[in-house]
Amino acid sequence: MNTIQPEAARIMVVCCPQLCGLADTRAGAQMFDQVLAAVTRFCPGVEAVEPGICAFGARGPARYFGGETALARKIIAAVADIGLEPRVGVADGLFAARLAAQGKGQVRVIPPGGSAEFLARHPVSVLAEQDLAGLLNRLGLRTLGDLAALPFGDVAGRFGAAGEAAHRLASGHGFLPLAVRPPAEDLSVIQEFDPPEALAEPVVFAAKALAERMHEGLAARGLSCVRVQVRAVWADGRESRRLWRHDGFLSAAAVADRVRWQLDGAPLAAEDGEPGTGGIAVLRLVPDQVVRATGHQLALWGEAVVSDRVARAAMRVQAMLGHESVLRPVPDGGRNVDEQVTHVPFGEKREPRRAVAQPWPGRIMGAAPGVVYPYGREAEVTDDEGRSVTVTGRCVISGEPAHLVIDGEPMRHVTGWAGPWPLSERWWDPVAARRRARFQLLTVDGRAWLAAVQDGRWLIEAGYW
Amino acid sequence: MLAWPPALSAVAGELGEPGPEPGLPGRPGSGTLPVLPALRELLPRGGLARGSVVSVAEFGLLALALVAGASADGAWCGIAGVPEAGVLAAAGLGLDPERTLLVPDPGEGWPQVVGSLLDGCELVVLRPPAQAPAQVRQRLEATLRRRRGVLLVTGDWPGAQVRLRVITQGWTGLGDGHGRLRACCAEVMADGRGEAALTRTRWLWLPAEDGSIAAADPADVPIADILAPEPGRVLRAVSGG
Repeated sequence: MNTIQPEAARIMVVCCPQLCGLADTRAGAQMFDQVLAAVTRFCPGVEAVEPGICAFGARGPARYFGGETALARKIIAAVADIGLEPRVGVADGLFAARLAAQGKGQVRVIPPGGSAEFLARHPVSVLAEQDLAGLLNRLGLRTLGDLAALPFGDVAGRFGAAGEAAHRLASGHGFLPLAVRPPAEDLSVIQEFDPPEALAEPVVFAAKALAERMHEGLAARGLSCVRVQVRAVWADGRESRRLWRHDGFLSAAAVADRVRWQLDGAPLAAEDGEPGTGGIAVLRLVPDQVVRATGHQLALWGEAVVSDRVARAAMRVQAMLGHESVLRPVPDGGRNVDEQVTHVPFGEKREPRRAVAQPWPGRIMGAAPGVVYPYGREAEVTDDEGRSVTVTGRCVISGEPAHLVIDGEPMRHVTGWAGPWPLSERWWDPVAARRRARFQLLTVDGRAWLAAVQDGRWLIEAGYW
Repeated sequence: MLAWPPALSAVAGELGEPGPEPGLPGRPGSGTLPVLPALRELLPRGGLARGSVVSVAEFGLLALALVAGASADGAWCGIAGVPEAGVLAAAGLGLDPERTLLVPDPGEGWPQVVGSLLDGCELVVLRPPAQAPAQVRQRLEATLRRRRGVLLVTGDWPGAQVRLRVITQGWTGLGDGHGRLRACCAEVMADGRGEAALTRTRWLWLPAEDGSIAAADPADVPIADILAPEPGRVLRAVSGG
């Protein structure tokens, strides 16, 4: 079954406790800018989380610098040169990595897959949603482990989108399933300042209105933004760009805060330069990663509207059997029948993984099978004399298929067949590569089968009835 | 699993026992869910009667075709216990994958799962993982009547109002080492209880060459084509069907 698994992204968080307190001051913001510059030397895709804290995907850089711990030590040394004592945490997902960085010790590495266990011990008060945390506490749910132990569907049903998000965080699944993606169209908003604005406060004020405009544009498309790029251009041509990431949605006020932090950290405007060249000329907000806004109502799903009635039913089943027990099918591209539909757990974004419209040469044309086995069923195909039918590398068969035995079922006579249709897929990837020869077989009971030979074994992939 | 705090147990109680649902979607007062035109003649009321159980002997295109018409008309459809459901074929017949929920493995608690699905979906396809005791069946049927939905069971279900089965089928297009599957001609029989007691049989293209389901004129049934390459062979009944 092609169930999409949320990718466990390894995230490294660098936290400078000294800056967390004074980041709202100009000195702190400038120091944080130096930290970002230092960390950027190890990984270009550094994202600021909030003053004093930045994060990046650790997988690639860690491989390059000899492991996560080695990379962390190098970064600590580099930041120490600025005169700070950073702490580094590595884990699956931003939430866990950040808690790891804020714990004891200079470097804390939570092994892959260990985030849930690590998170379970933390009190619910570490959740950003303090109202929800307070409520959970009153209900007797003191730790993230307590929260994660409750069925997802019940938490989502009782506490809505906030509860859903908290449960995901507590279970180590990350804030969002996997729906994060760059927007398909340009949804950025621009504010020009003429004359250029030399003071930060009016710019920040304008940023809030600008952020509201951005949100309106996103909301009209049913989207929310989880990472925003703030670009400020000064009249003298200098530019400041920074990515801001948040474990949750960035409200207009939150975006304005980030604009202020970024402007505070930027090199001082050229005070000694020509008057009028020092101010900010253009402020641009680019929603860099967006997700479907599930909003407060489950009914707002984006595509087909999922009524509350359906959502309640599906979530009740998920509560009984687990999040991945209720699936929604998505027609998908692919050459094999088992790939042509992807199953997405209910509540996550339905999105094909491969291009549906692409021609996919090699896919079996004609009627689609009514029965598609999630895993090929073992079978034996023999010729008239009872010898197993084999296919050579050049697609020559050893004999005509005459008998079919599936998985220990009684033998069926083959009355018609076609093939072999060779398929060599992903030959460039030794793990995913497969070479198969496919057949359609007709048996005496009127049924038709889609069979494949792979590595000398016959598998029944689908049935046409 | 931790013990439920009292406040949440109350919540769970609410979730577990939903009250009667006012205003089901769909045309009010309409007693049936629509089916594809080719299947109308097989069903006593020309559609799937709300609140009833319809059984199909075996999961396959016939079951998917019975669902497709209602799905295309806007109904939500749940498919439980059938991990091998060919969604692509069903989509070709009109099933809307966006309004489809799959529960491939409903497990031992399948009656509760089906009950929950019936709260959200007007049509639920079920292959029971185990023979259902009479008591379980009656409880589900009561839920079904209350929700005005349709339960399509693949396999045996003693209380089914309508039972359908493919009694004969044959594919065209495939030869000895050449061709490919093109169309399948199937004879479908329907019987049941009450108004469905009269046995009806129809020849259908299941599917026709363009992927649709259409009535087949017995005179047009390409017996020779189906029977090739064994001229002496007659169409056989589908085993297990």
